[in-house]
Amino acid sequence: MAMAERAQDAPDTTKAFAVDRIGLAIEGNAILSDVSLDFPAGEVVALVGHNGSGKSSLLKILARQLTPTTGSAAYGGRDLRHYHGRDFPRSVAYLPQDLGTGSDMTIRELVACGRYPWHGALGQFSAVDREKVEAAIAATHIEAFADRTVGTLSGGERQRAWIAMLIAQDARCLLLDEPTAALDIAHQVDVLSLVRKLAHEGGRSVVIVLHDINMAARFCDRIHALKGGRVVASGTPAEILVPETLHAIYGIEMEVISVPNLSNPLAYPC
Amino acid sequence: MIALRHDNLGPGLVVFLLLCGGCVASWFLIQPTLWGTVEPGYDIERMVLYYSTLPRLATALLAGAALALSGALFQQVLRNPLADPTTLGVSAGANLALVVVSLFMPGLLGAGRDLVALLGSAAAAAIVVGFGARRGFSPYSLVLSGLVVSLWCGGLSAILTYLNQRYLASLFIWGAGSLAQQSWVIPLSLAWKIAGVAIVCALVIRPLSLLDLGESSSSSLGVKLARLRILVVGCAVTLAAFVTSAVGVIGFIGLVAPTLARLSGARRPVQMIVWSPLIGAALLFLTDSVLQLLAGGLGDFLPTGAVTAIFGSPLLLALLPWLKVRHRIQQAVVRQRQRRWSTRVPATVALAGMLVIVALSLFVGRGPGGGWTVLSGEFLHDILAIRAPKVFAALGSGAMLGVAGSILQRLTGNEMASPEVLGISAGATFGVAIALFAVAPGFAGQFAFAVTGAIMVLAVILLSSRRSNFAPERVLLAGIALSAMVDAVVGVLSSTGDPRAVLLMRWMSGSTYLVDGTTASVEVAIGAVLIALALAARRWLDILPLGAAPSSAVGIPLACSRLALFGLAGLMTAAATLTVGPLSFVGLMGPHLAREAGLTRALPQMVGAALIGGGLMVLADLIGRTAVAPYQIPAGLVSALIGAPFLMILLSRRQ
Repeated sequence: MAMAERAQDAPDTTKAFAVDRIGLAIEGNAILSDVSLDFPAGEVVALVGHNGSGKSSLLKILARQLTPTTGSAAYGGRDLRHYHGRDFPRSVAYLPQDLGTGSDMTIRELVACGRYPWHGALGQFSAVDREKVEAAIAATHIEAFADRTVGTLSGGERQRAWIAMLIAQDARCLLLDEPTAALDIAHQVDVLSLVRKLAHEGGRSVVIVLHDINMAARFCDRIHALKGGRVVASGTPAEILVPETLHAIYGIEMEVISVPNLSNPLAYPC
Repeated sequence: MIALRHDNLGPGLVVFLLLCGGCVASWFLIQPTLWGTVEPGYDIERMVLYYSTLPRLATALLAGAALALSGALFQQVLRNPLADPTTLGVSAGANLALVVVSLFMPGLLGAGRDLVALLGSAAAAAIVVGFGARRGFSPYSLVLSGLVVSLWCGGLSAILTYLNQRYLASLFIWGAGSLAQQSWVIPLSLAWKIAGVAIVCALVIRPLSLLDLGESSSSSLGVKLARLRILVVGCAVTLAAFVTSAVGVIGFIGLVAPTLARLSGARRPVQMIVWSPLIGAALLFLTDSVLQLLAGGLGDFLPTGAVTAIFGSPLLLALLPWLKVRHRIQQAVVRQRQRRWSTRVPATVALAGMLVIVALSLFVGRGPGGGWTVLSGEFLHDILAIRAPKVFAALGSGAMLGVAGSILQRLTGNEMASPEVLGISAGATFGVAIALFAVAPGFAGQFAFAVTGAIMVLAVILLSSRRSNFAPERVLLAGIALSAMVDAVVGVLSSTGDPRAVLLMRWMSGSTYLVDGTTASVEVAIGAVLIALALAARRWLDILPLGAAPSSAVGIPLACSRLALFGLAGLMTAAATLTVGPLSFVGLMGPHLAREAGLTRALPQMVGAALIGGGLMVLADLIGRTAVAPYQIPAGLVSALIGAPFLMILLSRRQ
């Protein structure tokens, strides 16, 4: 119980993540160079860019899956190198891009894996853990198939199940690597609405890697754009969706068009 | 045209260097005879040169080329950098067929050794490739099932040889790949056969090189995939069968030669198929002539095949980091069915079954007349004192193997992973071999040596895969390489004809014959402690199959947990191998049956695997003791003989 409360009173700052002059080189190839960005707390921040721009690598650095070659990254004002053991996964949850089918687990069992940072390898799976799992299942609306095995789900359902696992982890920040990559447009909207709701109503911070600039503009509060491992643009969707900036990001001529029902214009290549 | 290309320089240089080395070594071999005075009339030296040494060198060149070509074809058609006649079980299948035929149907050998060998290797290839086809030819699944077949065939032929050693002593030397020749008959006939298959290969090089594009792309270009695959696999199998039938199993040339070709710059399929046989021929030529030089008079009996495996496997180990393996861990098979029952039902059934088997095993036996007896009355105490240790040792070992198998299958995400395949069993065998040949200690001493051997193999495996954070695929490959090497060393030791080899064989066949009360209680105690530790790690085992990134994202220390779990599996295997030998396959069957019964999470699966594994081992011991009473068939042999085919059927039935 005490542990569960601690998640809620994480250090209160305006920044979830702050990265400072990060560089990453793998086998001599520079993947990221001199990246400095802030990720405000309570916002959905999108990382966009062309293929190989380093957006996934940056997300992996935030998730501590990769260690930057130079520079430093901090979460909640604390350097990522200073987190030990299960402190970090209690604060930050990460959804990788390629997900397995989950070795014959049911959805409920998969979601329960998210409680590992709290109970550890040997601890008791308590009533609190069970409550959190049920709450996560309810929040993602997957009650209907909670007892089916992961392998039997469709792509959209599987993404929801994994996001439920991240929610059960009870972290204040979610890092999502292209959660909509293999989904059709209806499921993309579905998953991204869920993510937005989780951030704005649940008080969580989200960093999400997205391919589609229009989806990013529609569902995110802020967009960081990378090109060739460097930051080329950063701002609100309205600031990013201008032809010059889009050209700087993707390297092709793009136009924007305003649509009556949407607050942001739509971008398209011309 | 080909010779002009820049990227042919590397492979060409490799062939040249290997050939130079081989020529120098063989010059030293034949030089004394050539420089000796020519005696008129009866000249034994010269006859040996003409009818033994020269044919042997020719055979080495031909066999090397054929095996390398076979390996290159397998690698190209299965798009798997690890495929070769050894790793796919093809050579072992041919070997087993020849052993079985010479034992039980010697008349068939008259019809043609080639035919028998071909049937054996074709059966092995059909099983392995058929299994691989359903897994989308994932390299690891394919090689693992190939190794299971290979281990099974190899173990079975070794044990058959041991049980009938009076008849098969020379077969054993041949089986380990001896190139010794008495005339030009074999090299000449081999040359014709290889030339025939090579011509077929030349015809399919074009469509074969399109396979690199992937299945759908190549078939959309007009390649008839199924026909091409069958044809090429057929060619490769035929080549391997010809060589095996002529000179026995020569390990790893088919793997090492294409790997050398690739590393030295051959890139396109045509280059691979042209350069690999040349490198293979030069490589085996060099190995064999150096071996003859060094071994002197013993050279005729020291099987070159075993020696190539001894040198080939460290090379494979060294090459591991450079091998680009495109496929990652094979995902678990998606199954559409719901779980039918709670986990309690199968666990209870397994427990009850195990108890019944143990009780049967303790109290039922066969009397001196061959009739079945239930133990009671005056001899109860005496006979139980003899039987109980064997039963409980088998139980403990089986349970440990079952749990070790579950751990390995979960860690590697591969359902064909097992202690046998990881090479830990082979390490223990090696320890015992050293103990028997060098020190000849009692049972406790053998115990110490077996544990040392197993731990050393485990240490080498872990050290060589440390850089990859103990990524499961690297660990498996390292284990494969090491177990091949250890097998080869045991093969060399056995082929010396030393009587101690018989002791080793008996131990390898998994007899509980020597187990006494102390050993059994130590075994059970070790088993209880290690299994308890494994059960404590259930959370890791639940989450690790989700993949490296999700596991570390929820805070599991990857390197540390993998190291601990591999170590635990290694210890359990070492302890179990001591009493039931290295070839029981219980570590493969236990976890499988548990999962088939619906025990899918780590804790129930391990408990189920322990119960089922223990029960199976005790059952094997009971069958081995009673089937042909008063003789005993070793428990390990029984479970391997029955279990492995059963498992293959189980796996092939399920889609």
